[in-house]
Amino acid sequence: MTCDEARLLIGADPGAATTALEEHLATCAACARFRDEMRSLDADIRRALERPPDIARPRSDRQPPRWRQWALAASVVLATLAVLGVWLLRPSDTLAREVVAHVQGEPDSWLATQHVSAQGITQALHGAGVALEITSDKIMYAQSCWFRGHYVPHLVIQTARGPATVLILRHEQPRARRAFHEAGMSGVIVPAEQGSIAVLTRGAGDLDDLAGQMQHDVHWLADAH
Amino acid sequence: MRNSEPGSPVSSIGGRLPAAGADAPLTRLFESMRPDLLRFAHWLARDRAIAEDIVQEALLRAWRSRDALKDPSAARPWLLTIVRREHARLYERKRLELVSLDEVVETQASPRFAEPGGELFALRHAIMRLPIEYREPLVLQVLGGFTTEEIARELALSATAVLTRLFRARNKLRVICGLAAAPDLAPRENLP
Repeated sequence: MTCDEARLLIGADPGAATTALEEHLATCAACARFRDEMRSLDADIRRALERPPDIARPRSDRQPPRWRQWALAASVVLATLAVLGVWLLRPSDTLAREVVAHVQGEPDSWLATQHVSAQGITQALHGAGVALEITSDKIMYAQSCWFRGHYVPHLVIQTARGPATVLILRHEQPRARRAFHEAGMSGVIVPAEQGSIAVLTRGAGDLDDLAGQMQHDVHWLADAH
Repeated sequence: MRNSEPGSPVSSIGGRLPAAGADAPLTRLFESMRPDLLRFAHWLARDRAIAEDIVQEALLRAWRSRDALKDPSAARPWLLTIVRREHARLYERKRLELVSLDEVVETQASPRFAEPGGELFALRHAIMRLPIEYREPLVLQVLGGFTTEEIARELALSATAVLTRLFRARNKLRVICGLAAAPDLAPRENLP
């Protein structure tokens, strides 16, 4: 047996006592000393193993890792922003909510693929006290709808970014522009000369251009009901 | 935690059952070994609460398989083996929350956790810090009384691999105890 073999065996099992090992130790003082050290160490190991250290901290006392604290803080911030965003984009009043509900009630309005005839547009505008300068080939849907006690024109106008709904609300007079986001729709209600105009689209989108254009193209007639 | 069978030695955690019926001697035998099993599981799992769960599950399994224990004098290694396997199963079943042991030990090595005989204290924590690949065969050998061949069989390793791991485990502990590390003579193994 070589010194390497003897030390490997002693290190693995200090209590080992094979004939070959004993013969080697009888002639190798260094290995014999090594075994004495390892046997002494092993006695300590045995004593140590008799009682495991009580290293398990109460779970409630455990400090979460630093990344978890940051993750928690980030989630709080995100949740706050989400709530704030919902609050800011919520329908500002029942008018906006009712506009959304009305559009939801006519889901086919956004599916029209052919423009409305001039006669159809006229019928939609009938009784609302408004006239339009917009060219009829951009209007894909035109109805006169009962809304808040009045017939109002309900139009769907094809824009470069897809169809957008326009409700011309002669009898609703908000003090300022209101934007909202609800039920997967974005909308804006802008004051007009004699009432207001609501513009909605699916998803998110900048509707101020269209709202501004409609403010320009809608003419409020004096002989309205 | 699963429900245990009525009348089994694990019908209540840590509870002692009245020894009655045909299985009473076995119940007493199992119960008498609970402290050993708990200590063994604690060294493997490094967490007392987890160790208690492991022993609970292991005793339940042992109770269900009690017919396989032909010789009651072999109960101790038999139960230790079940505990070891239950520990391995636990880690396979769910990835337990990994706690930085260094952090834990550092935290707890404050004066209020210090004890007389600082060397033994350091040694205990050094053993806890050993990777499981080294800690497990060492605990099996020293606490469990398993031979190299038995450990090899249990861990599905060669006897040489077991010797290597035991050598390296003790070599790491030598340093903790202020002794010079012995040259690593063991065959190469890709372990920490």
